[in-house]
Amino acid sequence: MSIVAIPLGVPAARLAMDGSNIPGDRVVQTRGLTKHYGQIVAVDGLDLNVYRGEVYGFLGPNGAGKTTTLRMLLGLIKPTSGTATVVGSAPGTPASLIRTGAIVETPAFYPYMTGYDNLRLLAIFCGVPIERVAATLDEVELTPRAKHKFSTYSMGMKQRLGIAAALLKEPELLILDEPTNGLDPQGMADVRNLIISLGKGHRTVLISSHLLSEVEQMCTRIGVIRKGKLVAEGTIEELRGATALTVRATPAEGARRVLEAEIGADNVKVVDEGTFSLRVDLKRAAAINRRLVESGIEVNDLHANERSLEDIFIELTGEVGGL
Amino acid sequence: MTFAAFRGEMYKIVRRPAVWVSIGTLLLLAALIGYALLWFVFTHPPAGSEQGLPPGARLSDAKVALYPANLVRETLSMWGDLGGVFALILGVLVQGSEFGWGTVKTLYTQRSGRLAMLAGKMGSLAVMVLVMVLALFAVDAAGSLVVATIDGKSTTFPAIGVIARGIGACYLIFGFWALLGVCLSTLFRQSAMAIGLGLAYGLVVERLIFGLLAILGGTTIPSIQQWFPITNTTYLVQSFGSNGGVRVGTTATAAVPFADATHATAVLILYVAVFALVTAWLSRTRDVTA
Repeated sequence: MSIVAIPLGVPAARLAMDGSNIPGDRVVQTRGLTKHYGQIVAVDGLDLNVYRGEVYGFLGPNGAGKTTTLRMLLGLIKPTSGTATVVGSAPGTPASLIRTGAIVETPAFYPYMTGYDNLRLLAIFCGVPIERVAATLDEVELTPRAKHKFSTYSMGMKQRLGIAAALLKEPELLILDEPTNGLDPQGMADVRNLIISLGKGHRTVLISSHLLSEVEQMCTRIGVIRKGKLVAEGTIEELRGATALTVRATPAEGARRVLEAEIGADNVKVVDEGTFSLRVDLKRAAAINRRLVESGIEVNDLHANERSLEDIFIELTGEVGGL
Repeated sequence: MTFAAFRGEMYKIVRRPAVWVSIGTLLLLAALIGYALLWFVFTHPPAGSEQGLPPGARLSDAKVALYPANLVRETLSMWGDLGGVFALILGVLVQGSEFGWGTVKTLYTQRSGRLAMLAGKMGSLAVMVLVMVLALFAVDAAGSLVVATIDGKSTTFPAIGVIARGIGACYLIFGFWALLGVCLSTLFRQSAMAIGLGLAYGLVVERLIFGLLAILGGTTIPSIQQWFPITNTTYLVQSFGSNGGVRVGTTATAAVPFADATHATAVLILYVAVFALVTAWLSRTRDVTA
C-alpha cells in the first residue's frame, strides 16, 4: 500500500501507511477528543496518532486548540468527550506521567529556589536518582547558573530549565508546547538541535509551535489543527502534494494546445496569458520542453514550483503563520 | 507515591523564606508583646491607668497570667486567634502560591496523582503548623520563666498533661486556620483573595453577625452560633479557664459558654475535615488552565 497524501482543504482523513512509514506503535492516540467551555468548542472530535520515534509537529493558529489538546494529553484538562491514550495509559495517571516529560506554555518553577533545587525537587517527586539532576542541567548547558535562584533567570534560561525538567525522567514521550519561546536565535538553534537529537531513536516528541521553519526542520510528521479540528496530517512532502511545473511560452494558444496534447487538459492550468501551471512529474520537464521547442513554441521559462509550509499553513488555516 | 509527594513538599516548604518569616514574626510578637511589653506595663503602670479597675485591684495583679503556672491559658488566650492568622497565612503560602506561580501544572505532570500530591502538601503543612505551635509554646515558656525569675515568683509549670492538651488545642485551632487558607486558596486559585476573605471572616464577620443578632435575644441564635468555627475556637480557649486578676491582651470574644471542650473539638475537627474534602474535590475535578 502506498502513501496517500491528505488532500489539502479536505477534512482530515487518516493516512494509509505502509510498514516503512509507521515508525512504531502509537504513543499518543486520541479518538473523538472534545473539549467544550460552555458554548465554545476548544477541541472538536480530534483523532490524533503519534507514533513511536517520530517528531510530530502540532501546528495551528492562536486559539486553534493546540494547548488545550496538550493539556488534555497530560491530564491537566479533562475532556468533555472522547478518549486518549498516552504511552499506553490514560492521561494524567501515574503510569502515563512517569513516562512523559512536558513543557506546557511557560515553564513554571519555584522562584525562591535555585535551578538545581527545583530539579532536585522534581527528582524527589518522580523518584529519579539525584545524580540525574546535574547530568540534565549539563545537557541544557545550565550548570554555571544551577546554583542561582530561578527568579534571576532570563526567559531563555527558564525555557532551558523547563526542557531539563522534561528530560529529567528520561521519558519515552516529550510533549513540548512552544519550546523555543523567548529564546534568542542561538538558543532557538540549540533547542532545535536538541529536539532533533532527542527525536532520534525510540523517543517520541510531540511539539507545538507557531514557527513553521522550525517545524519544517525538526518534525518528521505534522498535524494541522484549526478551530479545534484536525484539518490535515502527514509528512511535509505529503502535505505539499504534487509539485507543479510552471511554463511561460509564446505563442500562448499554440503552447496550450501542445501542453494539453502532451499531458492532458486536466493537468494544464492557465495562470495568465502565456503562463501555465502543469500538474506533472518533474522528471518529464525536459521532454515537455523538447516537445514545445519542436512544435515551434518559444519557451521563455520553465521551473518547478514547490509550495512552502507557510503556503500550506495559510491554505489550511486561512491565517499567516509565525516567522 | 504519597510519601514522595510529602518528601518533595517538605523539601520546598523548609526552603521557603516566607514560611520562616511568618513563624518568626509570630514568635517575635509572642516574646515582645506577650511577655516583655505586658510585664513592663504591669510593672510600671502609666499614671491613671488603674482607674476603672475593681476596688482593691491593681494592674500588677495581672502579672500572674504571665507566670509559668498559667502558660497554657495565657498562650491560648493571647494567640488562639492572632496566632491563627499566621497559620492562615501559612496555609495560603503553601497552596495559593502554586496558582500564582503557575506551578500547579508542574506538580500535576510529575508522577503522582493529584490527590497524592495534595496529601503530600497537607502532610508538610501539618508538620509546619506543629512546628509553629511547639515553637510558640517554647517561646512562651521561656518568657514566663524569665518573668517569674525577675519577679521572684514560682517557676513551676502546669502538669505535663495540661501542657499537652494545650498544645493539642492550639494545634487544632491553628490547623483550622491553616486549612481555611488552603481551602480558600484552592477555591479562588490565588493568595490575595484567600488571605483577605480568611482574615475578614475569622476576625470580623462571624463576630459581627452574631454580635448584632444577639440583640434579638432568645436561645435560637446561640444554638446556631455554637456550630460556627470562630465561636468554637473561643470555646476551646475558654475551656482552659480564665486567668485570675485583670484580663488584658486577649482578643477572645465573650462566646456564649454553653458548649464544652468536647463539643468545640468535634466541631473544629469537622471543619478541618470539610475544608480538606472540599480542597480535595476541587483539586481533583478542576481543569488546570493556567
